[in-house]
Amino acid sequence: MTGIVDADSVTKRYGEVLGLNGFSATFPPGITGLVGPNGAGKSTLFRLLAGQLRCDAGTLTLLGFPAWGQGEFRRRVGYCPEHASLFDWMTGADFVTTLLRVDGFPRAEAQERALRAIETVGLTEARDRRLKAYSKGMRQRIKLAQCIAHDPQLILLDEPLNGVDPVGRAHLSALLRQLSATGHHLIVSSHVLYEVERLTDQIVMIAHGQAIAQGDLHRIRDLIDSRPHMVDLETPDPRGVAKLLGAWDHVVSIEFTGPGKLRVLTRSPEAFYAALPALVVTEKLDVRSVHSADDNLDAVFRYLAGGGR
Amino acid sequence: MSISAPRYGAAPVAKTGRIHRALTIAHREFNRRSGVGTVAVVTLTYLAITLVLTINTSFASLTGTVTLATFETPYSSPAWPFLMLIVATSVGAGGLAEDVGNRSITLYLSRPIRLIDYLAAKSAATGTWLVIAAVGPGLAGLAVVLVLGWAPSSLVLTGAGAFVATGLLACIFFTGLALALSSLTTRALYAGVAIFGVVLSLEIGAPLVSGITGNTSVAYASPINDLLSVAQSAFGISGPYATDPATSAVVLALSGVFFAVFAGWRMSRVEVVGE
Repeated sequence: MTGIVDADSVTKRYGEVLGLNGFSATFPPGITGLVGPNGAGKSTLFRLLAGQLRCDAGTLTLLGFPAWGQGEFRRRVGYCPEHASLFDWMTGADFVTTLLRVDGFPRAEAQERALRAIETVGLTEARDRRLKAYSKGMRQRIKLAQCIAHDPQLILLDEPLNGVDPVGRAHLSALLRQLSATGHHLIVSSHVLYEVERLTDQIVMIAHGQAIAQGDLHRIRDLIDSRPHMVDLETPDPRGVAKLLGAWDHVVSIEFTGPGKLRVLTRSPEAFYAALPALVVTEKLDVRSVHSADDNLDAVFRYLAGGGR
Repeated sequence: MSISAPRYGAAPVAKTGRIHRALTIAHREFNRRSGVGTVAVVTLTYLAITLVLTINTSFASLTGTVTLATFETPYSSPAWPFLMLIVATSVGAGGLAEDVGNRSITLYLSRPIRLIDYLAAKSAATGTWLVIAAVGPGLAGLAVVLVLGWAPSSLVLTGAGAFVATGLLACIFFTGLALALSSLTTRALYAGVAIFGVVLSLEIGAPLVSGITGNTSVAYASPINDLLSVAQSAFGISGPYATDPATSAVVLALSGVFFAVFAGWRMSRVEVVGE
């Protein structure tokens, strides 16, 4: 095996529940998307890669080193966990600086790198604010800042766009592409295939703890495009947003699912995710969050997991 | 899918050593615990011990009877170990439990830092707070005594040694206990209740069992009794305690070390599972 990350029959159990069930995949250099529905085993794989869990069976290596343990090779790895728990009593700048100093950077260099990373993710104005006052989107950004500040070779990003507003998603996606272009290797997990598609063609699909497909994204996307895709939005002005979205050809229906909540059914999620940030900016819409409702992805994954094997 | 073999460069060398990296965590943890509650308890400890010590010494100085035993008064009451218990709970209960519970431990342990360094950093932060609370007030009181000339400097120096020795012993025991119980749960509240529960049940249970069975060695199981016995001995007083001060000191120190080793063993088996 010659990948950045190599997994060979990796199994991880939580008591009687299987988190990973003989997962085998090779993650090549560049950006690789790890895609699967909620509960498929993505976060389990990331925690194994981050050294927080130990494989029950199989072998898992990153950059040629066994994943379990806290060796010096971890300096070459950046990890952005899915969870939102940070050191809430610290400011954003303190947070990134602290983790850089744990990486082995002297104070002055750590502070300089932290400020640069915070600027890269667009949080300069909020850097002296305590993390407990950060919004979900800001927390995602500061997690990304600590992940890239030490200039790692391999960057592990567990659902990095989850909870980020549309404009922020576009910005972070551009940043991830830029990191790849400058020689970093990225593994990005998401349960939204269309988010990953904007970053890379290389994907590993995971369902029920197993790799069910690996390789070019477009062939898999074709399966999904034949089915409508649900997207949930949160906004204080659902009627105004619905009126604008309803004018799009590919939007099949719009449902008001609760106060300030919309569910949009679209035939072309690719076009939807591409056009939404521009609409938000030009119409000055206040869209707080965007989530894939995921039902159709689940159906495709079920198809692949069941029929494809 | 074609895969090109990546070229891995040599791992970048850390510019600072393990101790420096561990101290970074210790420093942040120390700051984290400097909440209103902790500062209030520590301030109360300073006020209580310093006042009792200076007032007691001032009276003794009037009659010219200042001895090493004069300084022991604030440590002769169970209130002192009880205050240490509160400080240990306040600063130590959440040390490991919170990090594992909210999974922020992953932010540290996905870095090139060993588990033992992380634990040492957590111990250092908890221990520093306990040293401040256990040793500081006695030394502050003695400084006042020295400045006001109520006792000769040699006596004050001996008293300072007694405060340091007794305080460090309390620090070792309570730091180890807090870490061990914090490693057993993911909630600081449970760890705090456990710290109180263990110490108070031993305080009540050990003399009871000792009295019923007639086995005096069971009395060593009471950490508060052990601390008071050691404190009295350090200040040259033969107290009312049935336990031998030297043995009590060894029991406290070994217990603290055992608890710390247990916390290390426990953490080496912890996996951050999440929800």
